[in-house]
Amino acid sequence: MHLRHLLLSALLLPLLTWAQPDTIPATDEEDYSQYGDLGFADDKARRFCSQKILDQSPTRFISVMWDAQGSYHLRFSPRGSWAEDAGPPTAEQGRATYTGGLRMQANIPVVSRNSIIWQVGATYWDTRYAIDDRVETLESAGLMHQLADRGLRTTGLNTTLFKPLNETQFLIVQASADLSGDYFLDAPQGLQYLRGSVAALWGRRPHDRLQWGVGLSRTYRVGSVNFIPVLMYNYTAANRKWGTEVLLPARAHYRRTFSARSLLLTGYELEGQSYRIQGLSTDANSFEVRRGELRLRAEYQRQLKGFVWMSVQAGYRHDWSFNADELPGGKEFFRGFFGDQPFAMLNSLGGAPYAQVGVHLVSP
Amino acid sequence: MRTTLLLLSLLLLPFTRLHAQPPPEPGDRLIGVWEPSHGKARVKIEKIGDKYYGKIVWLREPNDPTSGTPKVDKNNPDEALRTAPLRGYRLLKDFSYGGNDEWTDGTIYDPENGSTYSCVITLKDANTLDIRGYIGVKALGRTDVWKRLQAK
Repeated sequence: MHLRHLLLSALLLPLLTWAQPDTIPATDEEDYSQYGDLGFADDKARRFCSQKILDQSPTRFISVMWDAQGSYHLRFSPRGSWAEDAGPPTAEQGRATYTGGLRMQANIPVVSRNSIIWQVGATYWDTRYAIDDRVETLESAGLMHQLADRGLRTTGLNTTLFKPLNETQFLIVQASADLSGDYFLDAPQGLQYLRGSVAALWGRRPHDRLQWGVGLSRTYRVGSVNFIPVLMYNYTAANRKWGTEVLLPARAHYRRTFSARSLLLTGYELEGQSYRIQGLSTDANSFEVRRGELRLRAEYQRQLKGFVWMSVQAGYRHDWSFNADELPGGKEFFRGFFGDQPFAMLNSLGGAPYAQVGVHLVSP
Repeated sequence: MRTTLLLLSLLLLPFTRLHAQPPPEPGDRLIGVWEPSHGKARVKIEKIGDKYYGKIVWLREPNDPTSGTPKVDKNNPDEALRTAPLRGYRLLKDFSYGGNDEWTDGTIYDPENGSTYSCVITLKDANTLDIRGYIGVKALGRTDVWKRLQAK
């Protein structure tokens, strides 16, 4: 009997040895001290700094958002040639009861390596207007009608190149080409009205919680083309509870991190584009509304499930610019902060509360 | 005498199975200690059964800077696992060698956000791995390049 038990045990032993547990224990009797003193097997291997810092808000692959502004007053001048401080008469006015629409963005990495990251993205923003209490004089250009009937759209492509130079220094080059106007997708405006933006930045990432940089940009952030310096400052505090996400002058946010799955951003963003209005343009000129907005806001971001996040944003939209220019032959010109070229229209929009909700697929 | 010999053979069999060195398989080139691009950790990839797993064996900052205690997997979506130490944590799981220097069907866990991604590993050269974590389709992913480490 004893011999039979021994024999059975001996027969079963190999099976027990080779069986794998369902859950493999994560810890064992490993001597971890031996792994501190290792070097690269390849002498030529180098370390590069990462694109992000700890706890930074997640990078979005695909975003679908809905943006809506509250009621505000619009006042447009007659079409003409107006110095910025001319104080022209009002030719059109009304109350926008709805301004908003769908916004979609995609951003896909094409090359993703330690030594270079190249992303390509696409944008589609649709803004529709509902305008009540319209009053127009004989001098009205009809811009309000155009907005109410057709709305404004931006379709664009963008690309971002992140090039780490070593463990602490990096370069970022970002470029975009946008087609903005009151066109519909089934009859888009000509590609000669593409407007380009570009930014180049050199930065440092001294540790996992800080990244800063300086550079220059050609931007439409305030509606018309401008050349301005940019400053990046992304920081996470040592206690990992708060930080900043700053890219001046485009945006600046204070970040409060509740967990790896939820955070709150408070700050501002500048938005803008130059929108060609087809009904007011001819072959000889492009009539473009220089729309620039300052958005003071708070945005709560939260993981819904897995890689799907949601965002809820609310704030106040301040009109930076809604003036219009005539561009002979559609050719862009530079006015900057100090140029004295006259405007084709001087317009003003009242401030308005706004809200935005979004669903996002975030990057690993 | 025959019974004794039989018994002896059976007793020795497990040791023969355990200690004989089978010839290395092509997939075993993945085995070793590797450093992800961020350099904050080192990961030992080993073979268990016919699959490959990778666990954290070294952390540049092993202790939580606020509490001073060893870092734990505090972002794990499973609350019960949030006290598991990060050192020793198995973040690469269930990879099978599919030929052409590629290991598939596995997952990678990111302790920074508690997310688990589908993952494919490609051996670019003897000392370089492309680790691509992705969501659903490979196009929606990010590749990290890991470098092999060895004793100095």
